[in-house]
Amino acid sequence: MSPVERPSRRIVADPDTVERDLTRLVLTVVELVRQLVERQCVRRMEQGDLTDDQIETLGVTLMRLEEAMGDLCDRFGLTPQDLNLDLGPLGTLLPTND
Amino acid sequence: MPEGTYLYAVARDVLSQCPDGVADLPVRTISGGPGLVAYVSTVPLDRFGEQPLRRSLEDMDWVAETARAHHRVVDAVAAATATAPVRLVTVYDGDGPVRDLLDRRGQDFLRVLDHVTGRREWGVKAYAVASADGADGQDEPAAATPHAGRPGTAYLQRRRANLRGREQIRRQALQRADHIHRALSALSVAGCRHRAQDPSLSGRHDWMLLNGAYLVDDKREDEFAELARDLGGDGVELRVTGPWAPYSFTVMETR
Repeated sequence: MSPVERPSRRIVADPDTVERDLTRLVLTVVELVRQLVERQCVRRMEQGDLTDDQIETLGVTLMRLEEAMGDLCDRFGLTPQDLNLDLGPLGTLLPTND
Repeated sequence: MPEGTYLYAVARDVLSQCPDGVADLPVRTISGGPGLVAYVSTVPLDRFGEQPLRRSLEDMDWVAETARAHHRVVDAVAAATATAPVRLVTVYDGDGPVRDLLDRRGQDFLRVLDHVTGRREWGVKAYAVASADGADGQDEPAAATPHAGRPGTAYLQRRRANLRGREQIRRQALQRADHIHRALSALSVAGCRHRAQDPSLSGRHDWMLLNGAYLVDDKREDEFAELARDLGGDGVELRVTGPWAPYSFTVMETR
């Protein structure tokens, strides 16, 4: 990891950091998809077109995915903020925890 | 070496003194049109021509330094007289085209200068700050969950409350920003909203709800500052900057 400050949303293909940067890119995409699926689940749960068992199964799956994301982030020294995407006028993908 | 003419601003009066401009070059004036004065520097085209500029504009240090010099000149002129600033790095092929511009667009410049005479621009930025009652404390206590033994369902319920809370906070904050902008605009001659600043540039990570610019009569500046103070609080922090040269209200196509 480079101690040098650099724009947080830029992927730098530097040989020393390429592994971490690529990991960050991949995890960001996975996290984006996970968030979308989660929102879709919440929406369908609110509409009532899921059975209780389906809700439970989806909930457990998403929860485990979240845990797995946390583990991967730890292993590569990333914080949830590193995976945040700025969606411009839509705000950021994840809540900024200031 | 071929030279160009870099234009900073147009005004009606000649200043007796003016700070140096971009690349530490001296600033001079060109008179023309219906009593107008253009503030310019002679610049080498090997640095300020179209091709070199394209490269230089990607160099943030160069841009920052050039912008500082540009604003230094504009601010000096604006402090003394009504001024129509021109966009950063507007370079003409010599003085002829600048005189031509003053002739051709003279009435437009006069209209803009009349509009900003006796008025100054103030910036107001509104940030959402975490309120004391913990607006993001959406995590319900685990004991209260009615889904004991169904951890997946409990998880989704928690996420639902969280997303809803966020959405609600977002909507309230946007309404608040609209309200602030309307109130400030009502006290101003003109108001406009700019895009929220990128946190990596502003160095501040709170959510910027409003990045407004307001053209305010000199006589009403105190009133404006007081209103801006009153509109803040309750989870929103207002920051007033200025006075600025009226950048937001004088942009006209100079080509």
